[in-house]
Amino acid sequence: MTLRTFLWLVPCLIVWAVLPFVVPRYMADLLVFTGIYTVAGLGIGLLLGHCGIVNLAQATFYGLGAYASAYCTVMMGLPSIAGFLVGAAISMALAYIIGRPILRLTGYFLALGTLALSAIASALFFEWDWLTGGTLGIGGIPKLNLFGFLLDRPSRYYFFVWLVAFACMAVARNLVDSRSGLMLRAMRDSSTAAAALSIDLQALRTKVFVVCALFGSLAGSLFAHHASFVSTQSFTVDRSISFLLIPVIGGATSIPGIVVGALFVTFLPELLSKLGDIHQILFGLALVAVVVLMPEGLVGAFAKLRTRLAKRGSGHG
Amino acid sequence: MSLSSLISKLAGATALVGLSAIAVQAQTSGEPVKIGAIVSATGAGAGLGVPERNGLLLAEKDINAKGGIKGRPIKIIVEDDASNPDTALSKANDLIFGQKVQALLGPSLTASTVAVGGVTHANKIPQIAFTGIGPAVERERKCVAHVLPPQRLNATALLEYAKSIKAAKVGVLHDAGYGNVVMAELKPLADKYGVKLVAVEKFEIGATDTTTQAAKVKASQPDAVFIIATSATPFRNVKQIQITQPVIAAIGSSSYEYVNAMGPAADNIVIPEFVVGEDPLPHQKDFVELYKKTYNSTPKNYEAAAWDAAHIIAAALNKAGADATGEKLCEAMKAPYTGVLANYNFSADDMTGIPISSFIFSKLVGGKYTRTPFRVAQ
Repeated sequence: MTLRTFLWLVPCLIVWAVLPFVVPRYMADLLVFTGIYTVAGLGIGLLLGHCGIVNLAQATFYGLGAYASAYCTVMMGLPSIAGFLVGAAISMALAYIIGRPILRLTGYFLALGTLALSAIASALFFEWDWLTGGTLGIGGIPKLNLFGFLLDRPSRYYFFVWLVAFACMAVARNLVDSRSGLMLRAMRDSSTAAAALSIDLQALRTKVFVVCALFGSLAGSLFAHHASFVSTQSFTVDRSISFLLIPVIGGATSIPGIVVGALFVTFLPELLSKLGDIHQILFGLALVAVVVLMPEGLVGAFAKLRTRLAKRGSGHG
Repeated sequence: MSLSSLISKLAGATALVGLSAIAVQAQTSGEPVKIGAIVSATGAGAGLGVPERNGLLLAEKDINAKGGIKGRPIKIIVEDDASNPDTALSKANDLIFGQKVQALLGPSLTASTVAVGGVTHANKIPQIAFTGIGPAVERERKCVAHVLPPQRLNATALLEYAKSIKAAKVGVLHDAGYGNVVMAELKPLADKYGVKLVAVEKFEIGATDTTTQAAKVKASQPDAVFIIATSATPFRNVKQIQITQPVIAAIGSSSYEYVNAMGPAADNIVIPEFVVGEDPLPHQKDFVELYKKTYNSTPKNYEAAAWDAAHIIAAALNKAGADATGEKLCEAMKAPYTGVLANYNFSADDMTGIPISSFIFSKLVGGKYTRTPFRVAQ
């Protein structure tokens, strides 16, 4: 770690640690959601930024994680960790089974394939009300209890959620920087060339899809313990689209970009809602503006701006 | 004209031109008593949320025109959850901890109500939801009251009417959301009423064509048809395939938005509900008049439910004191209350206490509601 990064990192960490205590509770609540969405968005970012795959099925894995936590704790009375593990296991198994055939597709067809998966899952969450509670959902999910410390308010849960998010970021960073990461980039830029170098594209894509599902499921379990309630309305295709927006807005190849995207998706609708019923139209316009004006996302646009300023600075000097 | 009705009419007229502040200042002074409200003003639940918001804002003016809370004005802060339970949760956190409201009204949808109830229950904030009681966990929440009947009561009302017209065989068309929930209650009750469900056909929420399902219902030759949905589509389809048996619809399709979309297919449908704006019951007249004057339209059930919720919390505040704690307000709310929509008793096990006798059975004639003489005795 260079001194420069260190000088950046320390104040950032201080702000992060102090933030939930200084902002009002509803903002702390939104910061918890930002953490949860960061975890879910990281998986989508890996697929989009490093494999060029548009995944519209993240709400499925998010839902599986949430329902696993809800069912294990409320219906079966098991400890919370069981929900996290069961959710993760089911999500990863499903991602593997479904990923193998559908990841043979490419481009728009693959995006449509994942959209179909999301639509089917959302219908099943609805229909299997013996398992999911259907429209009425499952309520009364207990708050997490870490060694006797009850995470019953946003300012406490914030730290747990963000520690999980940081751990997921570390895993993502590791994956990207590893040999697999290099193979991924080779595959994204030219799949024919990558195949010629004897890279097993199918296995590699499936691996990332499984990691993405794991992140989605973790985010879902975190959400269930935060909201204390899960219902079909939280896991529709709309939610999959908003997860996809996270890397698109923040910047798909950058890990900090995912955090920026998650902040955008959680905070902007909230701020705009103060402007009355047209808030959804305004949010749509903001999205279009970001996508059209900043094709590399907010982080990409910021990096470009910095380079331009640096160039201008050196030009004057 | 009595003084109070003169005042309420004045308040209605001033609201129309946006000069309500004058009426408020004339009656109340001091720090406003803040009440939070969450409705689905946008998204799938907008058909409920928009009328509810109208009812709330009208109630706010009415309460203030009548002296507010012990002379202090009431301020209802209305937020939109965009029909999403996660947003409802954030809004509830903002209203309770950010804006420090004394109580919470809404939300419009069951999922949001259960989500928000987790916060209000844990923090002892009184809540009056615009939904019927939902999953089991809601029965433990003794300070989350409901101003709409539980789905079991809606199912009972449908069966009571079927019994009154001697329909022994009934076909059901229901959607996969609201309809599913009512249906779950209807099945076990049907046996008790000696009604045989000869066809039960489900369709997707927002389906644009339900002809196949309607044809199956027709083929089963029922004596009457129940339609349980929040959509105009099944009503049109039933008419198109010429089902001539009586059609009884659940309250979910009662808004004018749906009735207008049904067109001529709306004729002769019977709905067990509460407010017939064209022919209100004596205790509903003042509310209906004021609503018509202010908004230039006829109110239905959801406007009245929101109006009642605001008045119930105002009555509790007047009883327990404007700065009473949540627990004291809950206690104050527990007394029986005669509302515009129904008679409530929040100490009942279902957190609403609406008796079946509160239901009115209305019939649609030429796109307008008419009240039928049929009522169910308690």
